[in-house]
Amino acid sequence: MAEARTVEPSPSHEPWRARLRDLAVVAVVLVLAFVVDQTLDRVIPDSSVRQLLMLAACNVLVALSLNVINGMAGQFSIGHAGFVAIGAYASAITSSRLHERFGAGDPTFAHSFLVVPTSLLVSALCAGLAGLFVGLPSLRLKGDYLAIVTLGFAEIVRLTIGTAQISADETAGHAWSEVHGLGSFFHAISVSIAGLGGQNGYAGPHEKGVPAYAGPFWILGLTFILGVVAWRLKFSGWGRALRALREDEIAAAAVGVDPTRYKVTSFVISSVGAGIAGGLIAMMRDGNPTVQPESYNFQSSFDAITMVILGGSGSVTGAALGGVFVTFSVKLIELVQGTNAVQSLKRSAEWLDLNALRMIVYAAVLIALMVLRPEGLLGERELTLRTIRGWLRARQERRDRKAEDKP
Amino acid sequence: MSAPVEAKDVAALGATMRTKHPTRPDPSVAMGEPLLQVRDLRVAYGGIKALKGIDLEVRRGEVVALIGANGAGKTTTLKSIARLLPVASGTITFAGKNLATMTPEALVGAGVSLAPEGRAIFPNLTVLENLELGAYLHRDATAMRETIEDVTRLFPRLGERMKQEGGTLSGGEQQMLAIGRALMARPTMLLLDEPSLGIAPKLVQQIFAAIRAIAAAGVTILVVEQNTKVALSASHRGYVLRTGEIALSGNAKELLQNPEIQKAYLGG
Repeated sequence: MAEARTVEPSPSHEPWRARLRDLAVVAVVLVLAFVVDQTLDRVIPDSSVRQLLMLAACNVLVALSLNVINGMAGQFSIGHAGFVAIGAYASAITSSRLHERFGAGDPTFAHSFLVVPTSLLVSALCAGLAGLFVGLPSLRLKGDYLAIVTLGFAEIVRLTIGTAQISADETAGHAWSEVHGLGSFFHAISVSIAGLGGQNGYAGPHEKGVPAYAGPFWILGLTFILGVVAWRLKFSGWGRALRALREDEIAAAAVGVDPTRYKVTSFVISSVGAGIAGGLIAMMRDGNPTVQPESYNFQSSFDAITMVILGGSGSVTGAALGGVFVTFSVKLIELVQGTNAVQSLKRSAEWLDLNALRMIVYAAVLIALMVLRPEGLLGERELTLRTIRGWLRARQERRDRKAEDKP
Repeated sequence: MSAPVEAKDVAALGATMRTKHPTRPDPSVAMGEPLLQVRDLRVAYGGIKALKGIDLEVRRGEVVALIGANGAGKTTTLKSIARLLPVASGTITFAGKNLATMTPEALVGAGVSLAPEGRAIFPNLTVLENLELGAYLHRDATAMRETIEDVTRLFPRLGERMKQEGGTLSGGEQQMLAIGRALMARPTMLLLDEPSLGIAPKLVQQIFAAIRAIAAAGVTILVVEQNTKVALSASHRGYVLRTGEIALSGNAKELLQNPEIQKAYLGG
């Protein structure tokens, strides 16, 4: 019998009650983040571990943002570090300038409520504009042009900042006041870029370091909230259209999805996320308060790709897991290298380049993953309570079956 | 459970289908008046002329079949109307609008939906998600729910597989999904590209019964088919293409009786 089954369409317009619930969740998260912020140095007295935790959270943001373009949109960007760098420099400059306005004492929690949002806004804006600038021409074309252009872009950002030099007596303010014509205009730009500190990195206007305004409250709170945003994005109508586009461009156009617009928008969103992550990384360091161009080399773009691929392209929870895993594994390898056994080995065999060894191990792990599980740990699936319960149930059933077989 | 749509049910099913677009005004073309007009359409692949000046017309409420042998230019014609191929010269007018300058995605907004060849559905999305994407441009909750109901009545098999991923469906079911997805946009006109391609004969009958029902609901249809007999039996009129030109055209019943066609395409 051809009976008409009523099917509930997925909720696209949510009632105000759901919005209220969202607000409540955000409020709870902020309170929790505040509690963690106030107690973290007692729970974890070791500051290097605290820093590692915060770095892991920032890397989760890097992975989540890259996942939008590489995982959800199915385009391949391999210059994510370029956008992280732009975000880092933008917020480093903004926060140190604001810090000076506040009298340049110790960064206070109250002031961070002005400094962090403003700096991150500037970061997001700069990185987003850069994303538009890179994405608009390269995403109109079919094929892997985005990969080529992003790779070039990240290297241009790093090398431009790293190699710009000026004589000691020139300042950006002076150079800009002297602009009359194209030549002096470009000179002023290069003086400004050189003001970022070149290879030595940017450490604030008076070389006192970038103030560490982004404490655990900001980093953990924002990571969680932006993680939820990424999750909602994936399952929204917008995210679904994006996945449709990745699966079949002609079919997507046949339902009215504009391919170029979606690709460019997702790339800009991805860049904005990278900018925010970079902005947080710049403002979180205790010990080494500079932003250096070498932190944003190809290796770090590649690390971001590893995070996304490891966890599973297109999976929000997968990207988050990948971010945590890569951060800790890099740290673990550093710790192993620092042990006495490895150090004495290094002394006895000087030809042994441990850093190169690290890359070999890394590559081997990736190759093994590509062979054994090409879709990543989670594939496109999400790690939720329900999926975990499903796995546990399946495991229990398997065990029960075995137990029945035995007697 | 999944009873095929019987011929006697078709008109009744069509009469209950809801096809009015939630926002777009109905085009000011009366039933039986020309809705789509193609004039002197020429398309070339590199130097090879695939279409050498096609003229065709689809009137509102009609089902028109475009038939012909492999390589005659049927799919090329449909793809240029659907804006998936660049047009060398000629005009394509739909309800007074010039389609030739539109992008494929803009066509949906104008009221023309395509069910692409080769069942281009989204394999990793569920059947329901595939359908919901069809309503991507209007996203009207009521219209979505209604059309999903209509589609499940047209294709009961889809109703049983709503939560399944599109890629796990059989070829015939994927074709049903492609048509259902196109209907979700509440089109004035439906373009069907080879709906019987690679599908079991029994399902072909079901799909064409559904096409009749959709036509009975008032949706104008242009269908490209290799299966001449099935296509012409479901259509009002037909055009026969041969090496990029229209060789014959006319009433579908007359074309079916035409000895030349019987000899060339129906194995008679």
